[in-house]
Amino acid sequence: MEQPVTVVIVEDHPVVTEGVASWIRADSGRPVRLVQTARDLAWLRADPRPPADVVILDLELSGELVTARIPSLVDAGYRVVAFSGHTDPDIVMEALDNGAHAYVSKEEGRDHLVEAVLAAAADRPYVTRSQARAILADQRPSRPALSEQERQALLLWFQGMSKASVGVRMSISENTVRQYISRARAKYAATGRTAPSKDALLARAIEDGVIKPGEIVPYKSLAHQGRPGLGDPGQ
Amino acid sequence: MTAAQPAATMSGRYQRAFTVAVVFLVVGWHIAGAGGQLLRDRSAYSSFAFQGAMWLAMALAIAAGSIMVLRGAPGWRAAWTVALIALVASTAAAAASPAGQMLALNWAWGSAGWAGVLVLLRRRFTELACFLAAEALANLGVLLWEGMHRTDLAGFLALLAWSTGAQVAVAAGVRALDVAAGQAAAAVRNEHAARERAATAEIIRAARQARWLTLQESAAPLIAELAAGTADPGDALVRNRCAVQAARLRRLLAEGDEVPGSLVHELHASADVAERRGVSVEIETAGSLPQLPVPARRVITDAAIAILTAARSQARITLAAVTAGIAVSFVADTGAVVGLPAAGAGVAIEQQQDGGMLWAEARWNSQ
Repeated sequence: MEQPVTVVIVEDHPVVTEGVASWIRADSGRPVRLVQTARDLAWLRADPRPPADVVILDLELSGELVTARIPSLVDAGYRVVAFSGHTDPDIVMEALDNGAHAYVSKEEGRDHLVEAVLAAAADRPYVTRSQARAILADQRPSRPALSEQERQALLLWFQGMSKASVGVRMSISENTVRQYISRARAKYAATGRTAPSKDALLARAIEDGVIKPGEIVPYKSLAHQGRPGLGDPGQ
Repeated sequence: MTAAQPAATMSGRYQRAFTVAVVFLVVGWHIAGAGGQLLRDRSAYSSFAFQGAMWLAMALAIAAGSIMVLRGAPGWRAAWTVALIALVASTAAAAASPAGQMLALNWAWGSAGWAGVLVLLRRRFTELACFLAAEALANLGVLLWEGMHRTDLAGFLALLAWSTGAQVAVAAGVRALDVAAGQAAAAVRNEHAARERAATAEIIRAARQARWLTLQESAAPLIAELAAGTADPGDALVRNRCAVQAARLRRLLAEGDEVPGSLVHELHASADVAERRGVSVEIETAGSLPQLPVPARRVITDAAIAILTAARSQARITLAAVTAGIAVSFVADTGAVVGLPAAGAGVAIEQQQDGGMLWAEARWNSQ
């Protein structure tokens, strides 16, 4: 039997924590084990920290957005699946840019959260519809260039089709649909600020043949945006 | 073009014409009037060179003043600099005239006064009055200094009345014309606004008429049938027709609300009826959506009504910005292919059935 994936839930509403725990339990076929629940991120300072593969992180804890805390979780060796009531594309993009593996909105939770956790534990991309929406809406100058096929697959997936139906529509196999969507996600791992989780996702995507090293756009740090002097051609 | 724009430019055009007229008057006076007198009396001056130099200084001040007023209203500092140069030059010229002949040989008083009118024309009237009074006092001072006779006083008063009177009259005239131009512009503006209001009212009336006609074609016969008892509310087909008409009514009401994101607003209105039937409808958007014309919106919402009426329990509507347009898609458990309205108004519609789920996409292209 393979090692179970260990999970920490960080969520300030006990009812939601209970709900997520019940999804994990209900998916008994999956080797996922809940090791800890927390209402905030104070446990990160504990020594030793709880060993876990994935942290399911509610992005709003006690009314405060904690997307900026994702890097500290990632640097501590956890993979982060953002789980949020927000669907604003800007927040989705910020979470991904800060190193979250996947973004699952609370409406998508039942169908996608456990899947996203398993994908994250394997460093594989997992793209929910809310994530596809944020990618389609992305107009930042630093966004990676997506191919027409990748964009079309993301659009149909966002529209609500199953991946099999997307395949029928695009006259390709379901597997190729997954490949297009994963490749679009992997391209995002190569942009913005650096994070070990993004490197791991990218390395795995190359290993899996989802993306070729040549398809990765050059690194461009988002952290430089907004800094004075960016507009100078000399910089 | 907005209504305020032509009115404002009209008023501005008149004011500029008055300014140009004053510039011509002042420059003309200085060259022909003052210059002419200076040349005629050249042998009478003790130093013609000095008088010439003062005339030139005055000419430069007037040239600078002309450029300033033609470029726009000068600030008080610039206006008064020109006015003071003119005052000093004219006083120096008067003081340098041969004793007893100052009034007869004075070319500069008039020019200095006109220079003051030129630069102070559109400032407070008291500023011009102060300047003209200072100019008159300076000349009187020169007269007193040289020892004034009774005849000199009469001459001084005559010159004052003639020169200052003409200057005050011109300044007051331009002021009155400015006010008249402003009033004319306001009248034009009001007329434009009234015409625009009338045009808007006509558009609203026409839209109401069109909506009324649409309802006459579709909802009215159904209501008549229900009232006459020829249509049975127990019949599923009749209920379906009622649901479609109810959704159309909601959409027609929503069409009147010209809000940003009209299409999303109308789709919400169309979804309302389905939601009351117990169908869960989610509507999501991606990217910044373009504004669609009413006919295109109507084709899309008609498709939405057809699909939502056929949906059994769930429907997802998405609006995504795509190159040069918008893709509105529907995924719903209709169980079968839905008869969709004809494409048109720049909207192309496609659908695909997969098991019990229907996917349809209406794409509008702005080109």
